[in-house]
Amino acid sequence: MNDTTLRPAESSAGRSAAAFFVRYGLVIALVVMELGFAIVEPLVLSPGNLLNVLQQTTYIAVFAAAQMVVILTRGFDLSLGTCVSSVSVASALVMTSMVAADPGNLPSALAMGILTGLGLGVAVGLFNGFCISVLNVNAFVTTLGSFNICFGIATTISDGRPVFDVPKEFSELMYSGTILGVPAPVIIAVAVLAALHLLLNGTVFGRSLYIIGGNPRAATLAGLPSRRYLVLAYVLCSVLAAVGALMLTARTGSGEPNLGGNVTLQSIAAAVIGGVSLRGGVGSTYAAVLGAVFVTALSNCMGLARIDGYIQQIILGCVIIAAIFVDRLRTGAR
Amino acid sequence: MSATTLDSSRAARGRHGWLANALRKIGFLPALLIVLVGLLVAFEPRFMGTFNLFNVLRNSSALMIVASGQMLVLVVGGFDLSVGAVIALTSVVTAKAMAVTLEAAPDDVSTAILFGVLAGMACGFVTGLVNGACVAFLRISPFMVTLGTSSIATGVALLLTNGIPVYGMPDAFVKEFGRAIWFGLPMPVYVSVAVLALVWFMQRQTTVGRYIHAIGGNMQAAMVSGVNTNFYLILAYTLCGMLASLTSILLTARLGSGQATMSGNLMLESIAAGVIAGVSLRGGVGRVEMVALSALFLSILTNAMNLLKINSKIQTIFMGVIVVAAVALDEFAKRRSRDARGR
Repeated sequence: MNDTTLRPAESSAGRSAAAFFVRYGLVIALVVMELGFAIVEPLVLSPGNLLNVLQQTTYIAVFAAAQMVVILTRGFDLSLGTCVSSVSVASALVMTSMVAADPGNLPSALAMGILTGLGLGVAVGLFNGFCISVLNVNAFVTTLGSFNICFGIATTISDGRPVFDVPKEFSELMYSGTILGVPAPVIIAVAVLAALHLLLNGTVFGRSLYIIGGNPRAATLAGLPSRRYLVLAYVLCSVLAAVGALMLTARTGSGEPNLGGNVTLQSIAAAVIGGVSLRGGVGSTYAAVLGAVFVTALSNCMGLARIDGYIQQIILGCVIIAAIFVDRLRTGAR
Repeated sequence: MSATTLDSSRAARGRHGWLANALRKIGFLPALLIVLVGLLVAFEPRFMGTFNLFNVLRNSSALMIVASGQMLVLVVGGFDLSVGAVIALTSVVTAKAMAVTLEAAPDDVSTAILFGVLAGMACGFVTGLVNGACVAFLRISPFMVTLGTSSIATGVALLLTNGIPVYGMPDAFVKEFGRAIWFGLPMPVYVSVAVLALVWFMQRQTTVGRYIHAIGGNMQAAMVSGVNTNFYLILAYTLCGMLASLTSILLTARLGSGQATMSGNLMLESIAAGVIAGVSLRGGVGRVEMVALSALFLSILTNAMNLLKINSKIQTIFMGVIVVAAVALDEFAKRRSRDARGR
């Protein structure tokens, strides 16, 4: 404490160095990791693999961004994974049954499938938001409950089996198609994330989420409609999850009742590693995407270096704890 | 605002009369449990079968032990998502340690059992210690710490076994302990009663219990009053981990093999049991006897749904609704009493 007052020049240099590391630490870690693994396995840095990583990132990035929206408000959404599963199964069922009934009318089948998926997302979000914001039930318990409910829905309507025969055109639309050589998932993800970025930064609703998470009491005193915004945040989260679910369904070409198995944990891990604070009010779309890139690149590198899957799980656990610790330092530094 | 709610609540009390009064006296959960058991006894003869009752008792004993550990962590204002992973890891380590020592010295069964149990308890101890230390010293959110340790513990358990069950535990451990019936009741029942009694005693009669509640109620106040908050935080997490290990050893002994996939839904159920018992997720509030009761309730409810041949997938939906509804009701009651007191 005394030192800082005596030697302001040096300490401010030290502080800005620390701030630099805190700010760009993850990017540095990412580059170091890629280079380090490249020594062991040169394939890591091949253009084909990097492109592959980017494509895989799109899905986790959407899920991490969805999770980020509610983490901003000091909540989280455990139901995200099973919401993904139920959206996948429900939209696949609608599409296949509509195509079976009327093979000529493909566009309306696709539209209905997508609408069903998004509608289910809205419904799950409304349930979560209503319980959390109006009934005052803790976010953990609410989303634990909806986790079970969505899991039950997904497995009941599909009978626990994948729904096959999803129209090829759907996969083309949201997975294999390209516009000017850019793959469809990348376009969708970029569009969705850009829209989310604008929403969070350019609208009263978006900015309010930061205030609600940063200081709920201040938000209420300032006259913000906190309850309504909180419900909207959960709806937004689940709708984004539904978009990601549709993208994944297009990739697998079937509705999978177990599609969202690891998605909840991955999305929370990616968001937090990217720098979204669990204490609320801190985070951005950029952070969610960066975290998603890191998580994807890490598992890609470990896979290419032929590290045992079980050890990968152990390493991911360590990375999560380390990331929270860094977050702790970061908020302490501010 | 508060005046109108008070009036309406008074009116409500008047209207419901004796039923509401009776409910308030015995409490909501015991009443629900009595109704459930009554219905089962009346309409489902298979419920009272010895085999079925033993099953319910075994399942609820396991859940009671995990849930009472979980409750301690909830009371200090935390969470332990790693109990499931600890159960898996303990199962594998216990079985492996027993099998290895037995192979080295085939005649010395008791040493093998002792080694296995100690190694298993060490798993919970170490995981709990790490959880507690991260929460206490690094001030990391318990949700994320235990998420991380749960990923690590599961990874280690799978790594040790490659996902294959571990056999080779001594017969004495499985047949004479794990599947034993003592004085007409399955062995785990006695263990769980002992655990519950100990936790109850600790909570009610010792300073340790009082400090744990004080920390959860108001960490700052506890610290200022000279309570070593870090120590008691770590203690709560360590006890939770060890109780999870104990559950795992009982389950492993009954199963006869160490399995990395054993925990099933116990993690979620332990939190659900706590929450239904009115343990506050904000810390400071929680009674072990209520937790035991709600663990029993959950086990009987699951059993009832199985007997009624309700699809297991629909059972999950049902469980989800019950957990949310229980907390919503609790919040509602709390708000009403707060409003009433606000007058």
